[in-house]
Amino acid sequence: MVDWRLFEPLFEFARKRSLWIVSFCTGCGGIEMPPLMTSRYDLERFGMMPNPAPRMADLFLITGYVTPKTLKRIIITYELQPDPKYVMAHGSCPLNGGVYWDAYNAIKHIDKYIPVDVIIAGCMPRPEAVMDGINKIMEMIENGTADSWKRYKENYEWYKKNQDELFGEGWREREARRWIPWLMERKKGEE
Amino acid sequence: MINELMIIIFTPLIAGVIAWLLDIKGLREGISVIGAAIPLAYLIQAYHTLASQSSIQYSVVISGFKFEFLLYQISWIFAMIAGVVGFAAILGMVSTAKDSYEWLFALMSLTGVYGVFLADDLVSFFIFWEIMTFASFMMVLKYNKKASLKYFLLSVAGAYSMLLAIGMLYAKVGALDFTTIQQVLYQDAMRGVLGTNTLFSRNEILLIFGLFLVAFGVKAGTFPLHVWAPDAYSETNQSYTAMFSGVLSKAGVYGMLVIYILLGTRLVYQFGRIGAAPKFGYVIAFLGGITIIVGGLLAALQEDIRKLFAYSSISQIGYILVGIGVGSALSIEAAIYHAISHALFKGLFFLIVATIVLRTGKTEFKDMGGLAEKMPITFAMAFVAILSLAGIPPLVGFASKWLIFEAVIHENMPILGGMIFFGSAIGFVYLIRFTYAVWFGQRPTELDDTKDAPVPLAIAMGILALLNVVFGIAPGLVAGELNKIFGKEIIQGTIWELNLGFGRYNGLFITVWLVIGIVIAGIIYFLGAKVRRVPVTDTYQAGNPVTMEYNLTIRRNYFLPLKETLAFWLRISFDRLYQDIGKWVEDLAETLRHYIYNGNVQAYAWYLAIILIILALWGV
Amino acid sequence: MIEIALKAVLILLYATFVGFMFMGIIRIVTARIHRRVGPPIYQPILDTIKLLSKKSNITHGLIYDFGIIYALGATILALMFIPLGSISILRAYGDLILITFLLEIPMLGIMFAAMSSGNPWAGLGSQRALLTLLAIQVPLGFAIVALAEFYGTFSTYQIVMAQQTAGWSITYLPLLLAAVAYDLVLQAMFGKEPFDIMIAPGEISLGPMVEFGGKHMGILQIQHAIALFAETLFFSNIFLGGAVVTAFASPILNTLASLGILLIKQIAVLLIAIFIGAIFPRFTIDQAARFYWKWPTIIAATGAILAAL
Repeated sequence: MVDWRLFEPLFEFARKRSLWIVSFCTGCGGIEMPPLMTSRYDLERFGMMPNPAPRMADLFLITGYVTPKTLKRIIITYELQPDPKYVMAHGSCPLNGGVYWDAYNAIKHIDKYIPVDVIIAGCMPRPEAVMDGINKIMEMIENGTADSWKRYKENYEWYKKNQDELFGEGWREREARRWIPWLMERKKGEE
Repeated sequence: MINELMIIIFTPLIAGVIAWLLDIKGLREGISVIGAAIPLAYLIQAYHTLASQSSIQYSVVISGFKFEFLLYQISWIFAMIAGVVGFAAILGMVSTAKDSYEWLFALMSLTGVYGVFLADDLVSFFIFWEIMTFASFMMVLKYNKKASLKYFLLSVAGAYSMLLAIGMLYAKVGALDFTTIQQVLYQDAMRGVLGTNTLFSRNEILLIFGLFLVAFGVKAGTFPLHVWAPDAYSETNQSYTAMFSGVLSKAGVYGMLVIYILLGTRLVYQFGRIGAAPKFGYVIAFLGGITIIVGGLLAALQEDIRKLFAYSSISQIGYILVGIGVGSALSIEAAIYHAISHALFKGLFFLIVATIVLRTGKTEFKDMGGLAEKMPITFAMAFVAILSLAGIPPLVGFASKWLIFEAVIHENMPILGGMIFFGSAIGFVYLIRFTYAVWFGQRPTELDDTKDAPVPLAIAMGILALLNVVFGIAPGLVAGELNKIFGKEIIQGTIWELNLGFGRYNGLFITVWLVIGIVIAGIIYFLGAKVRRVPVTDTYQAGNPVTMEYNLTIRRNYFLPLKETLAFWLRISFDRLYQDIGKWVEDLAETLRHYIYNGNVQAYAWYLAIILIILALWGV
Repeated sequence: MIEIALKAVLILLYATFVGFMFMGIIRIVTARIHRRVGPPIYQPILDTIKLLSKKSNITHGLIYDFGIIYALGATILALMFIPLGSISILRAYGDLILITFLLEIPMLGIMFAAMSSGNPWAGLGSQRALLTLLAIQVPLGFAIVALAEFYGTFSTYQIVMAQQTAGWSITYLPLLLAAVAYDLVLQAMFGKEPFDIMIAPGEISLGPMVEFGGKHMGILQIQHAIALFAETLFFSNIFLGGAVVTAFASPILNTLASLGILLIKQIAVLLIAIFIGAIFPRFTIDQAARFYWKWPTIIAATGAILAAL
């Protein structure tokens, strides 16, 4: 009935002015999030709010280095989000390994596993730098160039190949079953 | 031509006996269903007769006792409740009954109920009361002896109190039929008003009232006499429980109305009123209010699906007792309306429980889950029943609860009003417990191939659900019948609307606007993007992957915070009190047996000698 | 017929718009209390548009979808019964108990939808929401009883008309006590601190709403907006005098004036709720239940008994 493409400018304005962040800030950069949300560099005036449920959130912040254990959770949470979704990476670790360029357990190029829209350089970027990055992502949404979610959907085989290479095939079930003995032991202890 | 009242009362019993004697599988179901359907047909026909004459009467004299039966407006309404819910329950039993023993006693209890409702004198009332209790006791006995023993003891205590009260009435009045007793007691009240000596003294009438209250309170399941109900309602054929808790408890309610009819004027004269309610009625209403709260809170903490609904039955009967207790014409009409709606939705609930138990074989919440996809018809019926019990317009549960609430507040009883409000919230709470644990959530793998309800149960549930919806949208249909009891228009309005002067409720408007609201919401919904179905393991658990081996539903101890908040009050339990009294009596008897009946011949010789000496001294 | 339909559409649009403004007021006033700048006041509208324009949505079954639609439908139904100046449609049938029940039905729909998603946190959130509902029923019941006993009628419209001549309800002591108890109950009905245990962001990931996204969440935002409007409107009508202006000659100016006065009263109620909510942490569920069953119950019961005398 209605051609929704006529409303795209309105939708893009709404999407850029009401980004909800998944509360997933692990890694060193998590310490830079509270200054952003409190009175000095207030993030809420752009409409950005931290939201604990990924099903309602659009922006994923990868704040700092990523280990394989964290990467599994990041992938699962990222796939729970509805389209369109954006990813912003803080620091040099997601870009090329940063200070952990020779560590055995830090992911050097996060772009192989999760598509990233904006990377903010620094170790850790100050709040002003993060605001700059947010400005850039808002511009990209307005232009329509923030299409990491499209890249993920179109090149899903390539991403999946990289993920499986790192973790091994069927890694979700194995990871789930790994925790069952611990859970069941606790339940037996309670009963 | 046999009088139709006799047909209504005795057909189920005859059908039950025939079904028991001919133990052929298909035939006995058919005979029983016909046996339950015939009284219903006669009652519907009697509606037309009652439109022209005010009552249908029949009396028979057997060995000097005159048994009277009367069908007038109040007994017609209660008999229709028994007819409809009884028929649905018998239809449900077609799928769940195990052998002909159950058919015999189920139909016998239906006979008993009809007899209780149609009796017009105290002897037939008592006889049919006992038939009803005996038959339901036999139904419970087959499944669990301890529960049936509790039920039996409390019912017998009630029956003996009723017998004592009947005896006291007969000794003073000299006749047993309701009309004479009513007249004599009314004249007694008048004599008291004028200042002359009355036939019954104050203590006597108080004792009669107390004995009747015990007798009918046991049957209705009032606090503190409710302890038999959870065990008895759970430990029997669940389709039969639809009749047990839907209809037989209404016999207790009918008994309370009998107290009003017979003793009402006399008690009002003797004891006066509190506010606008008679004092003796206030006792009934207060007990009803406590029953609502206790029954509801205990229902929320149960782990067994049958016990949850048993406690819920007790809680809802409390509503009816509050309405009866307050005593004005509007509140009695509201109470009878709630009796009708409770029979309808509680009967529906127990048939649903019967289906679940039949198809899955499990009775505790921790074994069930996610059945909404596998049993869609049963779930649709459960949806209607849940909305009805929670008191959500436009179903019939809301209309009756609204009426009780308005009637009670209008008589300026704030404490009872607060209790009723709390009761409807509690109803919400334990229903969500039932819904979450049984219908939603993750399904255990052993329930993956449960089938839906069998046809007889589905038809029975459909009848009750349809009546729920119809009486909710058009509440005036029931209100019109209730107004005929008092002869004047207490609840005004059309068939779609109930107008009390100080409050109005229109079922049609609510339905129409609810549909409009849902349509508007649906339009907004369908304007969005399409949805894709995801399995239950694709869910957010802080990023951890989950498989079906994880337990994703809270099925046990769902209301643990409530249990902790009420920890102090839960230590008081009337069930333990009765069991302790029972044990104490047993110990006393044991002591007596040890010391007196000790098997020693010389002691017995001494007893004989002492008694003979006493008799000789007495001059016998 | 056309007139009724037009009135319905106008009431609905007005309620949705003002409801969103109220949600925006909550966010910006909370931000100013924190000495931040805060989002613009039309922020919830942008949130809802963003949520409704998501390009992919998920569902967990039929009840998951239908519960949300039912919740919004029931809220719209409740809205039609509350007197809104002189343009409400069904105000003759706006019974106190009916409106109170209808304002609780949306929670039933949301809980059905949340439980059918099969997330344990949704179940936990539903349990806490139910226990909060149970806890608030007692003071709520007594407050409604006090109101009905004092005025002798259950119809909201007649209570509003009675207040035009006799003064606001809260100038009478029994009803002042009932209003205090009802205001404490409103904190839980809005889902604001200290009684937001049912949402509990961060502890159980927003409780019942953990699996809602996209258009389901958008519909829930609309429902929250209309529910905020309806609840504050109900409170203003029964305790703060409502607004029936007959000073002007033209009915349109009368309607606008009454809507304006009602808006001021509703914002006052909302500000009290925001101020209390901004300074308190969260109660756990048994603390909340014990609180509600102690002081608000005693206050409301005193009000009811005084009103019955």
